[in-house]
Amino acid sequence: MIAIPSTVRRSGALLSRILAALFGGYALAALTSVATLALPMDEVQGVLTGMLLSFVVYTCAVVWVFAVRSATRAWVGLLVAAVPLVLMAWSVWSQGGAA
Amino acid sequence: MSHLLTFLSSLAGFVALAMAMSRHQREVFGKALAQPATRRWRLAGWACLLLALVVVVFREGWGLGLVLYSGHTSLAASLVLGALVVRERLRDARATPRAAASRRSA
Amino acid sequence: MKRGKSATNPVPGIRQTMSDLHIWTGLLVGWFLYAMFLTGTVSYFKDELSQWMRPELPRQAEVPDPAVVAQLVAAKVQAISPGTSQMSLRLSDARNNSVNVFWRKPNEKGRRAFAEANFDPRSGEELSARETTGGDFFYRFHFQFHYMPAFWGRWLAGFCAMFMLVAIVSGVITHKKIFADFFTFRWGKGQRSWLDAHNALAVFGLPFHLMITYTGLVTLMAMYMPWGEREAFRTPQQRQEMSAQLSAFIQPGKPSGEAMPLASVEDMVRQAQARWGQYNVSRVTITHPGDAASRVAVTRGEASRVSMSPQYLLFEGSSGKLLEVHDSVGAAAETRGVLYALHLGRFSDAVTRWLYFLVSLAGTAMVGTGLVMWTVKRRARLPDPQRPYFGFRVVERLNIAGIAGLSVAMTVFLWSNRLLPLGMAARADWEIHVFFIAWALTLAHAMLRPARAAWVEQFYAAAVLLALLPVLNALTTDRPLWTSLLSGDWVFVGTDLMLLALAGLHALIAWRVTKHRGTAAKPRRDAAAGARDMEGARA
Repeated sequence: MIAIPSTVRRSGALLSRILAALFGGYALAALTSVATLALPMDEVQGVLTGMLLSFVVYTCAVVWVFAVRSATRAWVGLLVAAVPLVLMAWSVWSQGGAA
Repeated sequence: MSHLLTFLSSLAGFVALAMAMSRHQREVFGKALAQPATRRWRLAGWACLLLALVVVVFREGWGLGLVLYSGHTSLAASLVLGALVVRERLRDARATPRAAASRRSA
Repeated sequence: MKRGKSATNPVPGIRQTMSDLHIWTGLLVGWFLYAMFLTGTVSYFKDELSQWMRPELPRQAEVPDPAVVAQLVAAKVQAISPGTSQMSLRLSDARNNSVNVFWRKPNEKGRRAFAEANFDPRSGEELSARETTGGDFFYRFHFQFHYMPAFWGRWLAGFCAMFMLVAIVSGVITHKKIFADFFTFRWGKGQRSWLDAHNALAVFGLPFHLMITYTGLVTLMAMYMPWGEREAFRTPQQRQEMSAQLSAFIQPGKPSGEAMPLASVEDMVRQAQARWGQYNVSRVTITHPGDAASRVAVTRGEASRVSMSPQYLLFEGSSGKLLEVHDSVGAAAETRGVLYALHLGRFSDAVTRWLYFLVSLAGTAMVGTGLVMWTVKRRARLPDPQRPYFGFRVVERLNIAGIAGLSVAMTVFLWSNRLLPLGMAARADWEIHVFFIAWALTLAHAMLRPARAAWVEQFYAAAVLLALLPVLNALTTDRPLWTSLLSGDWVFVGTDLMLLALAGLHALIAWRVTKHRGTAAKPRRDAAAGARDMEGARA
């Protein structure tokens, strides 16, 4: 095995966090905006509520990504948060397919 | 009218809150105040800020009220800070020549 | 510095990581944010600036009746462009002395099909004022920049706004003694003073900064987050249902082909006035005038209500019969309407507008002090202050052009408005080109001169240019400050005085920077002490 120099490892972890914040955060926010459609409300209002909420989720996600101890934890946290959202979004997607 | 009331009430509130800080107590009263006096200042400060909020929300509604409140509090707080800085600067300016003179005489 | 700390402390605390997040997000988009903040701040007086930039349009002593104006101008546009499928009139009001109209030219397609012109609300004639974008340039630059497609500009602005939101939240977490330090400002202490100023500007305006950043994202949210919309709506009709909740824009639809003259627009506006008040009608949109399928939408003004949600009356154009009343939208749409209105601040009375302006200016200063602090903090630790490393020099020079240079460029933009020949081709575009040329020159200047000299010279240049603008105005128009004062022309008086006040502000800053030179050695020591304090406070 080749030992990875610590600076490379550290910048790798930093890069991983930046990606998690930028794209992971956006993905979570986008997922939120779709998941909101599962809530029992008028479709138009649901779409707008999702949009309004998504930026709050994005901000919290970015702060989370940099607040936790390691890049791995950051990703795991995003994935854990995504689980309920995916479930909610799933119901929307399957409905959309049926309609 | 609600502009003036809100602004004056916020201004009074921030003055009182500043007076509840030992740094400014020494500045203004020459000594740090005792605990109960400090508490009274702090209470008065928060009461004024709350009053400003009640006035503006009651008269203008929540949407406009909150926006005006954040505007007036920002302005009032900046003015209080500005006044404290100017006061400190003036005092320093007055104190410096005297300090220099006393050093010379010593 | 980060590496140094992590050597002794392998897991940096949350305050440290949040501080790093704050510093780097702030630096990365700081110059964009500063420009967005400053041009946005100025845009609270967009309408007044537009009036100042069109000095040919006489002062509006009293606001003409919107109903009469709408009738007059609608007839005029019909005469200019018979067979137009759509026209939209932004009526004159207390802050606008012209009627801005865009309409679709018949038999043309794409972007060329749209024509735009300003009309005199009294005569109904097309105005022959100088060609200028007026206050709209700063307004548009604020959220979509320039020299790039609006789509990319808006994405870039959204990206910066998102960084701002992250910078605000991480800044609050970093600054643990947010209330304890509330009224703390330590004068003449180098880095400490910068930090205190940055904190004070941030904390005092915190609710506003949070509001303005979040609502800024909300204004373009359908573009940034289209996923829910794409998922939910399958048909154009559903999409239209949503846009009806967001704006009063009516689609032209299909003409019937049967000619039928347009009923009295004045009467339709009168019905709206009865509902909302005489001066509370902002826009009249007419589709297919002269056709049996014509529709007229009369939209409520944005003054006196904190919401941008569409409220309008829809009339049948040929008969003038009221067809639909749109006076409310769903809860989420209304929330969005309120947030949108909060960002634009068009509902404001004069006092509220000034509050918006001042707190927004404080926000600009907050971003500016943050940017400068990055260099102040690092200068103290430079191994050789005479020869800073490359990254430091880049930030330092960009700061000069981004902060002082922007003031110069914005002022030069106003100069070009007065000096470019009136008959010049593409005059409005050239005003904007001149703005960017001036800005580029300040960057070149900042790179060629020593940093401190560049700061001082550019701030003084801005001060002189600002101070001479009222003079230039007096020389090139027939509306000098004294005439405006005597005739009670508050838009011109206010603009001239504001330019002088800003000149004073810039001169003051330049003077402070000059004075700083004499004690150059001392602040450096103080800054180092300040840095030690900071480390101590953090540990």
